[in-house]
Formats: sequence, structure tokens, C-alpha cells
Amino acid sequence: MAVIGIESSAHTMGIGIVDRGKVVCNIKRMYRITDKGLIPARVADFHSEGVGGIISESMKVAGIGARDIEAIGYTKGPGLGACLRVGQLTALTLSKRLGVPVMPVNHAVAHIEIAKWYLKMRNPLALYVSGGNSQIIGLSEIPHRHYHIHGETFDVGVGNMIDNFARYAKLNPAWGSTVARSAEGGSYIEMPYTVKGMDFAFAGLLTNAEKLIDSGKSVRDVAYSLQETAFSMLLEASERAMMLMGSGEFLICGGVAQSARLKEMARLMCKAHGARFGVATDEYNADNGAMIALVAEKMFRSGHKPARSDCTVKQKYRIDSVRVGW
Amino acid sequence: MVKVLAEGAESVVYDTKLNGIRALLKRRIKKDYRIAQMDAKIRSQRSKNEARIIAAVSKAGINAPRLILYDGYDLYMSAVEGDKLSEALKSNIVGATVFKRIGETLGGLHNADISHGDYTPANIILSDGVPYVIDFGLSEITSSVEEKALDVLLMKRSVTPQRYSSFLQGYRSSCKGSNGILKRLELIERRGRYQTRTLT
Repeated sequence: MAVIGIESSAHTMGIGIVDRGKVVCNIKRMYRITDKGLIPARVADFHSEGVGGIISESMKVAGIGARDIEAIGYTKGPGLGACLRVGQLTALTLSKRLGVPVMPVNHAVAHIEIAKWYLKMRNPLALYVSGGNSQIIGLSEIPHRHYHIHGETFDVGVGNMIDNFARYAKLNPAWGSTVARSAEGGSYIEMPYTVKGMDFAFAGLLTNAEKLIDSGKSVRDVAYSLQETAFSMLLEASERAMMLMGSGEFLICGGVAQSARLKEMARLMCKAHGARFGVATDEYNADNGAMIALVAEKMFRSGHKPARSDCTVKQKYRIDSVRVGW
Repeated sequence: MVKVLAEGAESVVYDTKLNGIRALLKRRIKKDYRIAQMDAKIRSQRSKNEARIIAAVSKAGINAPRLILYDGYDLYMSAVEGDKLSEALKSNIVGATVFKRIGETLGGLHNADISHGDYTPANIILSDGVPYVIDFGLSEITSSVEEKALDVLLMKRSVTPQRYSSFLQGYRSSCKGSNGILKRLELIERRGRYQTRTLT
């Protein structure tokens, strides 16, 4: 018995297999980013070429056959339309062939759920940080169970902001970890710090960083200050949400949650309030299929029966529009 | 005797005495997750900004605590007796007139080009039925229509539609630029990314 999850919202094609809340397989292939960043159509081609092979490989690793599959989950959104489409079509095709239901999964819900699963947390406040997303999220029962967004970016996601800076500073590859490496030993330059209650904005910070590079400041100092400023903003907003909600647990998830510095800062913030801090391993913070399978299984087991008209792709599929039925 | 009155994310408010007179002390606390240089700068800038704004609020004749002393990361203010509106709302005895006055008060702040930044029931104290505004930690001195519209939006999201309508009545009657501000509010609410944002 197993549920398959297909993740293809951005640069990663991931297939995961889950059996009664246990991840039995989690395989991914990442599109290598060049200096031009992500070109959605190219990434979609990469995904469609890879998806068949990765599914067969995953089933082999998990030791399951087609008849063991009970349901198929795919990422409905948020993400890049062309890329999401590959996962959706694969899921629909497989579902027709095997005669099993399809579960359209919200990508952000999946990131939080797999982190909760990994950390065995029940009702944490979550900071979800990735390329396109930066949100502070917690479960709410009003008016029905859903993930409520307490705060979020007013403009760009923190990951994309850092990647954009990397490209501007000609760091290669243009990636958050490259920025972190080049920031080592830097000195602090004051930069715009924009927190509004539990919301925040990054565009002004990026523009300022580009100007500093143009004015001849060292990449090291700018990278260091950019990272410190952006992460401090995220933690301040999270801290405010934590105090407001009275949460005793806090987790970070999503691609940027792989950052060692962000983890360290989050740990310090929680320590000051006696709250439990948690972060899953990188395997589950980077985009992956297991998280999609995990949520698909929860939806399936709780009796969710999506209409065909729900099984679409939605580039701006917001987490707070999802009814949590488990 | 020093008593902790409130503990926020960035500051602690103490009930204390200054030269024998009761005063509230708002102290911005150190954040270990921020590098020391950035942390000191943020805390001192915010305290200084808040001191400036509290002084401007008093000058505009708005009901709010008065600034007694400002020192580094510390602000000493006069105390306001009463209950928070957020508490009073739980027992449901707050009438339309109070919300009208809350609207008038915000209008007064905006006329003085002060945006509050967190104009919610948790930051209003009812003292014998008269609303007093507290916590200017996120406030700005600005003529920005956007910032003012955000103040109105926050109150709109925090109370029932009827109470908001009383609030709006008071706001319109006192705020000079209310037409432009409320027009901007409509624009903000239509911005795509946040359209489906739900409320608790």
C-alpha cells in the first residue's frame, strides 16, 4: 500500500512514496541553474524528460508495484505554471491508467507538514522561506481548519532576493549557499531594515545591496550585511507572531531553511522565550516528492475526494485557501 | 517597586516610579539573534523615533501617554488608567459612540501626519469610556496616504463591520484627507497577492 507524490513546482523534479505516514522513498533531480536563472519552459522540458524514469526508479527503491499504489499526489501550486503542468499531467495520466484518485497538494502545506512530521511537532508556528515565498504561518480553526498567514513578504521571497543579489555580484553559481560562503568574515554595513508588524519587505534591501556593489563596496561585506539584515527581519517578525500566538514551538522550513545562519538565529530567538525550535534535515527542506506524498496520503485517508475541476495547476495557490481536513 | 506590566516581542513595559511619581518604563531588549551592531542601532533608532512621536502626539492634543524621559533604549511615560479595548470587547459592552471616537482619534493622528502602524483594539485603552492610544513603537511621522490607509485597514480587519462603520463615521468627520486615504484603502485591498488572505 502506498501513495506517490510528484513535486515539480520549480527547479526540482521529485518523487516520493509514503506508506501509512512513513516515507519509504524520496528521489529528486534538480535542474542546474545557469547565469540566466530559471527559464520555466526549459525547466519544464527537463522535468518531463525525467519524470518517467524517476517514478520507475522510486517504485523499485520502495519495492512496490503498480497495484500497490492507492493514490497519487501532485503539486497544484504555488509555483511556475509550465513546471507545475508536468506534475499535474503525469498524475492525471497515472491515475487514469491505474484507476486511483488524484490529490492536488499545496506546496507550502507540504513543506510545513513534512517538517512537523520529521520533528514530531503538533501545532508549531512556522516560518516558511524559499525562493518565491516568505511567510509566517500557523494552524487556525476559524472559520474552519486552515493554515493562517500571520505575516509575509510585501514583495519578493527572501530566496529569490538573495539569488538575484548573487547574480548581480557575479557569484557563481548564483545561489544562497554561495552568498553565505562569500559572506564569511564580512563586516556590517547598515542597510534598509523593513519590518511592519509581522510583515516585511525585501525589494528595497536588494536595490540597496546593488547600489553598494556599484559604489565599490566589497562583495563580502555586502553579502554579509544583506544576509544578516534579511534574516534578522524574518526572525523579528516571527518572534512577534510567536508572542502574539503564545506558541511554544517554532519551526523553519523551505529551501532557505537549509541556511546554517538562519537556523542559528532561529535557535537563539526560541531560546530567549523558552520555546522549542526545530528544523528538518536538508533532504526535506529542499523541494521533494515525499512531502507531496505525505500530504496526499493525509488527504486520501481523511476521505478527501477532489472534483476533476480541482485538479488543476494554480501558480498563486495560497496556503490560506486550503481547507485542512486532517 | 518595579512590576512587569507587559512583555512584547521587542520591549518590556515596567510599572515603576520616577522621582516618586508613577511612570511606565518601556525598555527595548537586546536580541541575541541580531549582530550586536545592528541590534544596538535598531533599538536606539526605534526608541528615539518613538520618543519624537509621543511628543508630537501630545502636541497634537491626542489622548495618549505623555513622554517624561527618553534615555538610550528607555522611554519613561505617564500611565493611563483603564482597560484595553481588546479586553473590553470580550464583554461586549462597547458602544458605537466609543468606536466613533476611536475613528476621530485616528483622524487626529493623521491630521498631524502621524501614522500609528498598529492601530488595533490591543493598542487602545478605555479610560472612563474615553479612548487613549498607546504603543507608538511602529509609528511614523509621514504624510504617506498608504501608511494612513494601512492604519484604517488594520482596524477594519480587527473589528466587526458595524463597529468599523461607526469608526469610519468618526474618522471621516475628523480626518481632512479621508477621501484620498479611503480610496487608497480600496486599492490596497485589491492588490492581487493578498486578495485571499483570511483573518482570524
